[in-house]
Formats: sequence, structure tokens, C-alpha cells
Amino acid sequence: MSAPLLEVRDLHVWFDLPQGRVHALRGLDVTVGAGEGLGLVGESGCGKTTAILAMMGLLPPSATVAGQVLLNGENILAKGEASVRRHRWTDLAMVFQGAMNAFSPVATVGAQIAEPMRLHRVAEGKQATARVRELLELVGIHPDKASRYPHEFSGGMRQRAAIAMALACEPKVLLADEPTTALDVIVQAQVLDLLDRLRTELGLAVVLVTHDLPVVGRVCGRAAVMYAGRVAENADIGDLHLRPGHPYSRALFSGGAIPGAPPRLDEEWPGCAFAPRCEHARDRCHTEAPRLVPLGARQSSACHLAASIAGGTA
Amino acid sequence: MNRGGYLVRRLASALATVAAAAVINFVLFRAAPGDAATQYQMCRTCSAEFRDYLRAELGLDRPLLEQFWLYVSALLRGDLGHSFQTRRPVWDELAGPLANTLPMVGLGLAFGLALGLVIGVVAAWRRGTAADWAPLSASMFLSVLPIQWIGLMLLLLFGGMLPTGGISDPYLRFSDPSWWQVLGDRLEHLALPSLAIGLAWCGSWALIARSALVGALGEDYILTARAKGLTSWRIVRRYALPNSLLPITTLIFLTFGYIVAGSLLVETVFSYPGIGLALYQAVQNRDYAVLQGGFLLLTAAIVVANLLADLLYLKLDPRIRT
Repeated sequence: MSAPLLEVRDLHVWFDLPQGRVHALRGLDVTVGAGEGLGLVGESGCGKTTAILAMMGLLPPSATVAGQVLLNGENILAKGEASVRRHRWTDLAMVFQGAMNAFSPVATVGAQIAEPMRLHRVAEGKQATARVRELLELVGIHPDKASRYPHEFSGGMRQRAAIAMALACEPKVLLADEPTTALDVIVQAQVLDLLDRLRTELGLAVVLVTHDLPVVGRVCGRAAVMYAGRVAENADIGDLHLRPGHPYSRALFSGGAIPGAPPRLDEEWPGCAFAPRCEHARDRCHTEAPRLVPLGARQSSACHLAASIAGGTA
Repeated sequence: MNRGGYLVRRLASALATVAAAAVINFVLFRAAPGDAATQYQMCRTCSAEFRDYLRAELGLDRPLLEQFWLYVSALLRGDLGHSFQTRRPVWDELAGPLANTLPMVGLGLAFGLALGLVIGVVAAWRRGTAADWAPLSASMFLSVLPIQWIGLMLLLLFGGMLPTGGISDPYLRFSDPSWWQVLGDRLEHLALPSLAIGLAWCGSWALIARSALVGALGEDYILTARAKGLTSWRIVRRYALPNSLLPITTLIFLTFGYIVAGSLLVETVFSYPGIGLALYQAVQNRDYAVLQGGFLLLTAAIVVANLLADLLYLKLDPRIRT
């Protein structure tokens, strides 16, 4: 297997809040290759959004980040803001949760799509205008609408325009945070199909953050199930459905309610974060934190009982 | 909504406001105890016959409705009546002072805005640092001080350097000055009162600018702009500032009205012959006709300022334009 395009290694994030220090991300490890789709799934508060904001160095000043974000082997977080800014939008682009509001209301949509092209010297003048039209066409918006203002677009159009904007500098990785949450089912399907098409046609690596499991399957072949700031299981979507290797993914993908609540992230604990809610928990689970270990060629799980969980014997 | 409809609605509401003010103006002065004849300062010891003569001359012996009709029809002709004191038309009494006040207030506004906006923008951009709280608290401290006190302090500080009263040097015309000497002389006389207005208001403008910017900086498009790789100053200039101009514009134009109406204190401190001083003298002389006209002019000034703000919105906000 060739080196992955994007590799996140042991990523930690702490937030210094007035109430105390919150350890939001606790050693995240994920990889994505070109043309691959990776879903980041899990309950709210498990660190999905924090993870992708950290990858682009966009966390607020109250956050402390440790770990590596390797793009083609280069750690883009190494020198802070100065080193990460070069990669923003040219290598890593993003579609935000509130992508409906991703456009400033007082400038035209076209100007806002063209802005990063000029900034990163990808295209200028007429060339940039032509490229804006191309991009709008690609996401199914009439190119003449480039001169319109965001309020003249419907929610779904704004979402697709936000994706067009993300593609402005031909990024290698697209980070999408709940890109369809605010949309109705039909528009949602259009946007997901668009993401899937861009992934296969442009060879874009897509990291899709969502708590909506059916959405993951439409765009991503693989998913990383996150729990309390770490990856609980990393596997193909099919395996997550059929033979999950972690009790949390099993519960999540079977759609049943999980009793209890996730741990408080301002506390530390010795064992497995899921143990207090896990029906299979042993003594060991409360005292020793499980590491993410391979369970097959394309599956890994952070559970002491992974093998028997996946085999269906526990 | 379309642009034409917006303009028509704004104009209509501006006219309605002035009309309402004119009616209230009429009612208030009729509702006050006594009338011009009994309150007439020069007429404390007049005979009853003379009072009746005065009432007849001022039209106060006619039925209220007829008086109202006379008042309204005169207003529509642009006639504000005659001063009780000087017998000159009220418009002539007030036009000069108003023409003196507007440049003074305009300069004060420009000065206060420049200072306030710079402080506010830097404070929002550098939120939480010394560049945020230090200039902001200093300007806030200035703006809670009474404007007449600021004026007096300016008099003390600049007493020998700049003229401290009046509107021009009365001896200048004997030296056959060039036009720029005249202009320089006027500006020197404008300097201190304008400075007082600017200092007194810059704090509130800084605070408004800061909070509008901080609000805009929390929007999703700001995060997107950062993700695009824009520097923080460019984000402030291209995204936060244009989006926070709407609330800032509203408040600037609202305060403009207040400043014109409230120029009394500054003009008294600096003996500046503006509209405030003219109204103050009208109160002293119980010159109801001038007061009535002056109030109407001030109302009109505030309404015009608001109308200008509405017109500026058309330029600033594409959501109104279409």
C-alpha cells in the first residue's frame, strides 16, 4: 500500500475553558488516501468537528494541539499558523456545518469563490472568472448566478456553491462537516451524490463528519467510529454493519439506544472510555486502556475483546 | 422588495414624521399655561387693551382650529412665522445659526468617527489584548464625562493657542485677508468645539464598532474565510467590516441628530453662534415663534439624518437592493 495522502497521528486537543481544562481529542489516528472517502462518525461531543478544525489549524486560541497532521508525509502543523496557512484551500479545503452561512451576505457568490484563487495565485482575472463558472456548472448551478448575492440562493444551492468554493484551488482533501444536516431529503441526496462524484472523478479524498450513518455509506467506503476523543473502530462500512469489532460501533450501527452517557472530557480515566456503558466490560476494561489493534487487513478496533465481538461470540 | 418601493416608503415615513412633529409643536405651545401675550417678557406691565391688541396681532384670538389652519398653511409655504423679539422672519433668525452649527457638528462627527472607528476596529481585531481594553477604556472614560466639562478642559489646555470663542476673528476683515486666510480663521474657531464633540462621542462609537465587529467575527463566513487562508487583517477588512457597517451606520446617523439638537452646551461654552445658542436665547426671551420654528428644524434635521442612513443602506446591503 502506498503512503496515505493524509495521515493524522496521535492528535490531542485541549481546550482551556473558564470551568477547567477539557481534553477533547485524546490521540486520534486516521488515514485517507486519494479518491477515498472516510466517514468520521459518533455521538455529538465525541470530537469529530474538533478533529477536522485541528487538521486545518482553525481551532480558537483557547485550544492546545499536540500530534501530527501529515500531508504527503509533511507535518503541516509543525510551524503553527505560518506553515498551515499555505496548505489551506490549496491542499485541504472545507465545507462547514453552517455552510448555508459560509458566504458573506455583502459580496457576490462569484467573488467569494474567486478570492482564494487570487490569494493562492491559482488563477487571476478572466481566468478566475472562467473557473468560477466552471465550478458552479460542476455543482449544478447556472454559471450566470456567479454575480448574484448569497441571499438570492436557496439553501441547497448555497450548500452546493460552498462545495464549489471549496474546490476553487483544486484541493487534495475535502473536509466536510455535516454538509447535509440542514437540508431536506432530496437536496441532501443531490449534495451527497455530488460529493461522491467529485471523489471518484477528481480523485478527491473526502473526510465526511456526520452523526447520520446512512449518509456515510453514500460517500464513504470506510468510517472511523469515534468515542470520547479517540477512534473506537476503523473499518469498511460493510464490516461495521455486519461484523463490528467494537461494542460501541455494534450498538451505533444496530441503531439501538445506548444506556448511560459519554464520559466527561474534563476528567481522565485509566481504562476504556466506553467500559461504564458496555455490557461486555470486564475488570481489565476499567483499568487498562485498549489500543487500536488490527483485526483484519482493513479493520482495527480499540477493544480488549475485539476478536470475540467481531466473531459474534460476545 | 424593490428599490423604488423602498425609497418611496422611506420618504413617506420621513414626511409623516415631520408632519407629526409639526402637529405636536402646535399643540404643545397651545397647551402651555398662558399664551404669548401674558408671557411676553416685554409686556409684564402692559394694559389689558394692549394684551388684546397683541393677541389679535398674533392671531391668538381666533378659534384653535383656525389657528391650526393658519399655522399649517404658513408652514406649507415655508413660512415659520416672525420672531416676537426682533419681528424678523423666524427662518432668517435661525438659518444663520444653523449654517454655523452644521460645519462644526460635521467636523466633530468626522473627528469622533475617525477616532472611534479606529479604536473599535483595532479592539475587535485584537480582542482580549491590551490593544483592546486600553484605548477602549480611555475613550469610554472620555464619553462619560459631561461635554461641557471636556469643553472647559480644552479651553484651559488650548487657551493661548486657539481661539476660545466666537466664529471668526472680528479684526480679520480689516487686513484684507485672502480666502484661505478666512477659511483658516474659521477652522481655528471650529477646532475646539468640534474636538469637544468628537472626544465626547468617540467612546460610544468605538464601543458600537467593536461590538458590531465582534458579532460579525463570530459568523460562519469568517471561519470559512480563515480556512481559505486569509490573514486576520484581511478578514477584518473584507468580511467583518462590510458586514458590521449596517448597525454602525444606523447609530452614527441617529447620534448625528442628537448632536445637532444637543449642540447647546458646546455652543454655550465656546460662545459659538449656532442653533443651540440661538434657541437658548429664544428661551431666555420667551420667543415662542423662534422656539417653535427651531424645534421643527431640529426634528427635520434628525429625520433627514435617518433618511440619509436609509439611502446609504441601499449602497451597503445587497439584501435591500434587490
